[in-house]
Formats: sequence, C-alpha cells, structure tokens
Amino acid sequence: MNVNFEAYVTAALFDSSTRAIFALGDGTVRFEDGTTIDAHPNGSVQCACAHPSGEGIVTGGDDGRVMWSRPSGPELIGEIKGRWIDSVASSAASGLIAFAAGKELRVRDVADPAFERVFKHDASVSDIAFEPKSGKRLATATYGGVALWYARVAEQKPQMLKWAGSHVGLAWAPDGRYIVSSMQEGQLHGWRLSDVKNMQMGGYPAKVKSMTFLFNGMIMATSGSNGAVVWPFGGGNGPMGKQASEVAYDEAGFTSRVAALPTRTLLAVGRDDGRIGVMNLQENRMEKVREERGAPISALALSADGGRVAWGDEDGNAGVAGLPLM
Amino acid sequence: MSDTASLIPVTVLTGYLGAGKTTLLNRILTEDHGKKYAVIVNEFGEIGIDNELIIGADEEVFEMNNGCVCCTVRGDLIRVVAGLMKRKGKFDAIIIETTGLADPGPVAQTFFVDDELKAKARLDSVTTVVDAKHILLRLSDSKEAREQIAFADQIVLNKADLVSPEDMRMIEARIRRMNPLAPIHRATRSNVPLSAILGRGGFDLERIVELEPDFLNPAHGEAGHVHDEHCGHDHHGHDHHGDDHGHDHHGHDHGHDHDHGHDHSGNVAATYDDDIKGVSLRLDRPVDAQAVTKWLNDLLAEQGPDILRAKGILDVKGEDKRLVFQAVHMILEGDLQREWRTGEERYSRMVFIGRNLDEAKLRAGFEATAAA
Repeated sequence: MNVNFEAYVTAALFDSSTRAIFALGDGTVRFEDGTTIDAHPNGSVQCACAHPSGEGIVTGGDDGRVMWSRPSGPELIGEIKGRWIDSVASSAASGLIAFAAGKELRVRDVADPAFERVFKHDASVSDIAFEPKSGKRLATATYGGVALWYARVAEQKPQMLKWAGSHVGLAWAPDGRYIVSSMQEGQLHGWRLSDVKNMQMGGYPAKVKSMTFLFNGMIMATSGSNGAVVWPFGGGNGPMGKQASEVAYDEAGFTSRVAALPTRTLLAVGRDDGRIGVMNLQENRMEKVREERGAPISALALSADGGRVAWGDEDGNAGVAGLPLM
Repeated sequence: MSDTASLIPVTVLTGYLGAGKTTLLNRILTEDHGKKYAVIVNEFGEIGIDNELIIGADEEVFEMNNGCVCCTVRGDLIRVVAGLMKRKGKFDAIIIETTGLADPGPVAQTFFVDDELKAKARLDSVTTVVDAKHILLRLSDSKEAREQIAFADQIVLNKADLVSPEDMRMIEARIRRMNPLAPIHRATRSNVPLSAILGRGGFDLERIVELEPDFLNPAHGEAGHVHDEHCGHDHHGHDHHGDDHGHDHHGHDHGHDHDHGHDHSGNVAATYDDDIKGVSLRLDRPVDAQAVTKWLNDLLAEQGPDILRAKGILDVKGEDKRLVFQAVHMILEGDLQREWRTGEERYSRMVFIGRNLDEAKLRAGFEATAAA
C-alpha cells in the first residue's frame, strides 16, 4: 500500500488484528483497508498509542479529546477542555490510559469508566511512559526531570528523578530497571531505578525524537544522528562504561524515527529525507523499504511478526510494505 | 534543508497589559488580507473570537544546558509550534501574543536555538504595543516594559489621541533613545496598517539594508516622525531631542525650547536615565574580518545577557560583499550579503541595544578592528 493522505502522519501502528492504522494531522484515523474515522473533527491528532485491548488506536487531539478509534467508529476516552492533548500512553498489563495537557496528567481505566486520576506537575508534561511489566507506575517527562507516579493512587507526591533541563521524550526498559529521557539539547539522560544512578548519554547532533528498546531489553535504539544509535543495556550496569554504536549510517541527513520489536533484533530506520530501511542487527543487513526522497519520516512501525512495516511522512505520504524473512 | 520561503513566518506581539495588543490581534484575525493566522495567546479568552487556530499556551521559560547563561527558551512555544506543524497547510503564518510581563528574549531565542522549529519556522519580527498615556510611568517602574521597547522591530504607540503633541514628541524621543532602529507608528485603537507589522523580516540578514539610527524614522511630515540631527531642516522652535539637553550640537543652534520640553516632562526628566539605550557605531576604514569577528564573539560572550539586539553592516577589507550580522543576546548570525554598489558609500556601522552599554569602550573596541 502507498497513499498520500494529504495530512501530516502523526503516528502509525499495527494493532492486534495486524491491521496497519494511521493517525493524521487532519484529525482522522485511517485503517489500511481504507476505512476512515473522523476522530477529531476540525482538529488534529497530536499523539497516539495502542489501546490496552490491542484493538484499534488511541489518539490525543488539539481539540482536547482522547479518542479510541476502531473500524466500527470513535469513542471518547477523556477530555481536557480547551487544551491540546500533548501526549498519550497506555498499558496492556494494567488496562490504563494516561494522557497529558500542559501540566496536567490524567489516568483512565478502560475497565472502569468512573475511574480517573489527575496528577499536577510544576511544568508541562512532554511524554508519558508506563512501567512495562505491570503498568502500575508511570513516568512523565517534564522540565527539570522525570516524575514517577503510582498510576492508581489518588493522593501522592511523585518521586522526582531530577536532572536540569527540559526532558521531552521517554523510554522505560522492558525489565523496568532503567528509564531514559531525551532532552532538548540533543542528549539522553538515563536513570538506573534501583539506586537512582544517573547515566549521561550524549553526543547527538540533533534532538532525539524516537527511542525504542529491542532484543529483550538488551539494546536501545534511537534516532537523532546520521544513523540509528544503538546502546547496549545488557548486564547489570546498562550502558554505563560502554560505547554506543551507530548503524544504518548515512551522512546525508539524520534519522527521524526508529521502530523495533520487543524480542527481536529487527530495527526499522526512517530518515529526515524520507528514506526508510529495515535491518537485522545480528546480520547487519539492510533491506531498503523506501528509496524515494521526500519529507521527513514522522511515523514508523513494525508488525508483531516482523513481516511488514508501516510508515508515514510529514507531507502525508504513507505506506505499508512487506519485508522478506530477516 | 528548507529554504527561507517555505518557512512559516512568526510574528511576536508584545506590550504591557492594556496597551492594545488584543485590539491589534482582533484586527489581524478579522481583516480581509487573504491570509490565515494561527495565534498563540497567553491570556486566553480575551480575544472573543472562536477559531480553532487560536491556541492558549502557558509561558514556560527553560534554561538550556549548553553553557550559555542567557540562553533561555520558551518550552511551551517549542511544543505548540511543533504541534501546529501537524496542521500544515491550514495556516500561512503564526502570531505569538506574549503576556504583558513577558521578556521577549526567550521567545525570540526559541526560534534560533531549537533545530526542529528552525527547520519549519522563521522569526519575522517583534512588535511592541505601547500605551502612550501610561508609558512614562511604565518605563520608570517596569524592567519588562523597557525590554519590550528595546527588543522591538517596530513600535505601535497607541492611544496617541490621549496625549498632547508635545508629550508625544518627548515620549518618542525617549523610546528612540532606547531603540533607535524600530520605527514608531502613532496609533489610536491600534489602527496601524497591518503591513507595518506583518512580513517585516526583522531578523532577516538579507533585509538589513541601511543602518542609521534614524533610518526607519517615518518621513518628515508624517505622523510619528521624530526630528533629529539628520533632518536637516528647521525645528520649528518647539521641538527637542529629549536627550542631550543643553549640549551644543556641533556648534549649531537647533532652536530648542528646553523650557517647553521640561514643562511637559516635569518630574519625568528626573527618571530619564534609562538603563537601556541604543548605541550606534561607525567606522570609515575597512575592518579586518578576523578581528571584527573575534571582537563581536568576545563582546557577546561577555555582555550577551545585557545586549538585547544588535545589527550591523561591515565593510571588510578585501571583500566585495557587505558582511551583515544580527544578534539576539549571545546568538549571533552573520553572512555575506550583496556586493557593495558602485558609488555607494562604503563604511561599517552597527547598532547595539542593551543595558549598561559603555559607548566609549564599544567604540574603541570596534575601531581597533580596522584593518591595517
């Protein structure tokens, strides 16, 4: 499949039915079979994630709404009136969905429509990540550090992981032991949660907009350089004292998106010139998915079986491509 | 990378509470100019126009971890502008309205520091709306009001109908002393032509054409014109410069009526030593490229927090093109512009607007960059 949606592609993902789903800057959600859901009429999708059930997609809009879209239609999950939903995350393990507008974070439970938690921050929340194993805790990226919350507890003071500067993106290692944030200055900052040990992971020429753990949490891959930057997270010390390496290096521009699968060594790499490749880190072999140049890749996902890749760019070009056995 | 033409222009609207920003914004949103503006406001709900392209943002000033002490950015703007880009094609330009107490510095620096924004948007200019009736009081008691004037690419001097012509001239002279580059547009209920505010290219190196302290002064006879040394005409006996009272200007008499001016300024004259002022430098010998670059870099590194804006056109020895630069605090941008034209007077000039500027030291530093 290759289409032009004529709107910024905010997100792409495969749901549990192995359907590719795209969420767009014109407020719509597009399913690979052509089904269109107008999730945010007159609005735009600012952020998106999978639904805890695995079916469909959850989107946050500049209309202040969080919507769950399936081919049967949209459903309202939550709303912060008059604000933009800047980030949204979900946990299949706990069935929770968290979303943020400005300094406010809200948590909803898909099994209990009456459940809602509101967590206030001193500065705006830029990203949200659930603890991957249980989904009972969540982390928010904000100015001055990362806040850790118990997702279901109504009254609490968050644990602050402090580090000066503006934190804009988050990744939580699958074993729950490390949190990595992406910073405004083109560097990462990580914490080992057991002893809150700081890890500075720098050297990026651009802001890191995309981070993903793969290979059972042994590796974290990121965008923000000429290639995909690969950090070793095996052993007891994570990346501390080890060197990052760079794969899929190309001096023409930077990588803008990476995508991977939790247990495998497949890594999809999207670039700011529109090109896309998928490689198996164990074989160091690159499969070219898109060689045509265009707008920066803004959305990228691999299907659970590693057989397909879905992508979208800032100009609305999008596609789903089959991959050979890698 | 993106060429300038494809970048979304961003206009910053600043000014003290009640100066008339909202009136101006309403005009921009409702007048028939064929363009669609996305508007980022800090005082939400005042506009009274329902439009999905009006976005509320809470001012959040972030320090950068890059060793640049004055390098603060507006985190809210980074997020909102990046979010707006997802609606690409739905609007032609962005207007940012700041709160009355906002420092325009971080707003401007955001568009030079964040790579993502730089790739999509360009800062067009900063307009400061001033309430002529209350400005003298504001200048005395508010650091923000002074900085907003100093930072401006153009100034809308509102409520002109509420102030006597004599006071108006004194106000303009004082504004001009702080910011000699920004044209002053007298207005009533923000009735300035929108072309005086939008699409100005205030940070565009290509558009640094002339740099005379009075260069953007409206033509003599037009509203808002401020008489000064460069007018070369009779001062009607009632005009005054507002500064340098009682000095002998190069030995010729301007026919100032100082008493007249002081009658109107009254107690204001006592608070006339604004911490912010504009300093204009000129050098008729070509400068040495390396020396002048080093001097500028050192100066901005040392005094960047105090230097709000700077612009210059340099005649570099051995170079046929004009070297132009502009700076916001420590962020310096320079480039070779067009060639010097035949018959054009070749000389270097620069203007600094900032706090605690030592004019003599700046002049000596600049003159020391003259090529051997």
